[in-house]
Amino acid sequence: MKTYSTLNTIGWQVLICAIVLSVWQWGHDLHTTLPWLVPDLLDPYFISKPSMIWSNFLIQSCLTSKLGVVNGWFNGDFAKCLARNENNLWAATAITLKNTFFGFVTGVVSGFIAGLILGRSDRLSAIFQPFITAVNSIPRIALAPIIVLAFGIGDMSKIVTSWIVVVFLVFFNTFEGARSIDEGFTNAARLLGASEWQITRTVVIPSTMAWVFASLTPAISFALIGVIVGEFIGAERGIGRLIIESEARGEASGMMVAVVVLMLVGVVLSAIIWRLQAYLLRWQRQRSAE
Amino acid sequence: MSALETSEALASHSPADRRVEVKGLSKSFQLARTTIEAVRDVSFDVRRGEFVALLGPSGSGKSTVLNMIASLIRPSGGEILIDGKRVVPGKATPDVGYVFQRDTLFPWRTVGDNIGYGLELAGVPAQQRKERIAECVAQAGLKGFENAYPSALSGGMRQRAALMRTLIVEPQILLMDEPFGALDTHTKIDMHEVLLRIWEREQQTVLFVTHDLGEALTLADRIILFSARPGRIKDMFTVDFARPRDAVKVRETPRYAELFQHIWHSLGEEFVKGRSA
Ligand SMILES: Nc1ncnc2c1ncn2[C@@H]1O[C@H](COP(=O)(O)OP(=O)(O)O)[C@@H](O)[C@H]1O
Ligand SMILES: [Mg+2]
Repeated sequence: MKTYSTLNTIGWQVLICAIVLSVWQWGHDLHTTLPWLVPDLLDPYFISKPSMIWSNFLIQSCLTSKLGVVNGWFNGDFAKCLARNENNLWAATAITLKNTFFGFVTGVVSGFIAGLILGRSDRLSAIFQPFITAVNSIPRIALAPIIVLAFGIGDMSKIVTSWIVVVFLVFFNTFEGARSIDEGFTNAARLLGASEWQITRTVVIPSTMAWVFASLTPAISFALIGVIVGEFIGAERGIGRLIIESEARGEASGMMVAVVVLMLVGVVLSAIIWRLQAYLLRWQRQRSAE
Repeated sequence: MSALETSEALASHSPADRRVEVKGLSKSFQLARTTIEAVRDVSFDVRRGEFVALLGPSGSGKSTVLNMIASLIRPSGGEILIDGKRVVPGKATPDVGYVFQRDTLFPWRTVGDNIGYGLELAGVPAQQRKERIAECVAQAGLKGFENAYPSALSGGMRQRAALMRTLIVEPQILLMDEPFGALDTHTKIDMHEVLLRIWEREQQTVLFVTHDLGEALTLADRIILFSARPGRIKDMFTVDFARPRDAVKVRETPRYAELFQHIWHSLGEEFVKGRSA
């Protein structure tokens, strides 16, 4: 295979971004002047445009006032703006992140433990098999309204919604991983004197790790989706709430700001998972290099 | 029984000398529709410090016998005693080490951590462990690879590491299932040298499964020949080359050629049967 320099690759990526953003920014104007050449796909009323999104971002994050004047840090304007709007972009992002984090962590831990236990026990997996299949057939996100009803519009309902979408994903992957452990490894460990618990710790968990990690990148996206849907249904704060508010005002740029922030959050969280995986599964990297 | 069999060699050892006793062992595997009789009424003893090869064509139940001795498979009939104690299926017998046919090094552990695994399980302190690992690594000619993962090693190096992972806990009885079966001839003979030197020093009791007559002759004191399926003992041969042996030179002696000829014929019959079975 031909190898290309990183610079070359980045060059193309920058070019693609520039084209997409330019079309988004000026496409509609072009349509107005040259209607026979440019189709009407990019009405800023619905999809806003980069410059409007940028100025809306500055306003929502209290960096500028609604008139575009920079909020000073030292004269206290910035702090006053933040205090005025308790669901400002910073607070909303923080709250959504916090709930995503708790939903993700509880989902991963409980899904992992349940997957290990059932994956290692033929008896338990036989008993629970039909229930798991049944529950898994429910589109979990459909439960969000019930959860909000049950847990209220506070943080708990978001964490639970997030947990319920994450837990099954991680459970099934861990379960499959624990089922497909190479018996040669467990036999080798047993004959070297390993107890059942030592086998679990030194063989079952490490060899299941690759399966678990395969579920973590989708799990982090799911956790975020769970929280946002929960916030759509009923919340006082959070990025989902921001989107709903902007929609009510017919303000496309407000929604787009929230979407861009979500995108950035998703990218950062996935990158963290990737780094963790590259470290914990470093033994796999050498294999592919062989 | 073969003409070369020295009957007093079997009769001479006292019961206390018998480390492994296999009595009337049999095993059938139940498959969906059929029953496969893998092993039928196998009996033999292994003396303390003896190196015994189980030789037979593939499918003759050698691994099955070894796995039953290792407590990995439950026998259908008969019993196994190690140092006079019955082997309980599913319960590892202390003092018994096993080297697998297939590479079972843990891919998520470095070579050093693989070798030290048994000591880690036994709770040996890290510092002591490190010293023992270093010794074993040196002995296996793996210096410089302690921190590599098994996937970075060649087949021969991996098998040496696997051997050391078993030997580091100093088992007195070694069960080996075609440990060098996947290696090329040259690497294999190198491994014979390594194993012979270790065995001369430690004098373990060894049960070595192989389908390679040359390998059995090079290493063993006694060869137990298995018939094609169902596995039974067809014959036994005493291999009386002087110790210490040189894995290369022993193959050049007239006695080697003589024994090879003698057993080859008997083994060949089983290979033919195994093919038609
Ligand atoms: N787990 C098993 N289930 C069914 N059949 C088996 C199983 N293990 C071994 N066998 C059969 O038993 C016979 C002996 O196998 P094995 O002991 O592996 O022979 P060898 O090691 O001499 O090549 C073979 O025919 C094999 O197909
Ligand atoms: Mg075999």
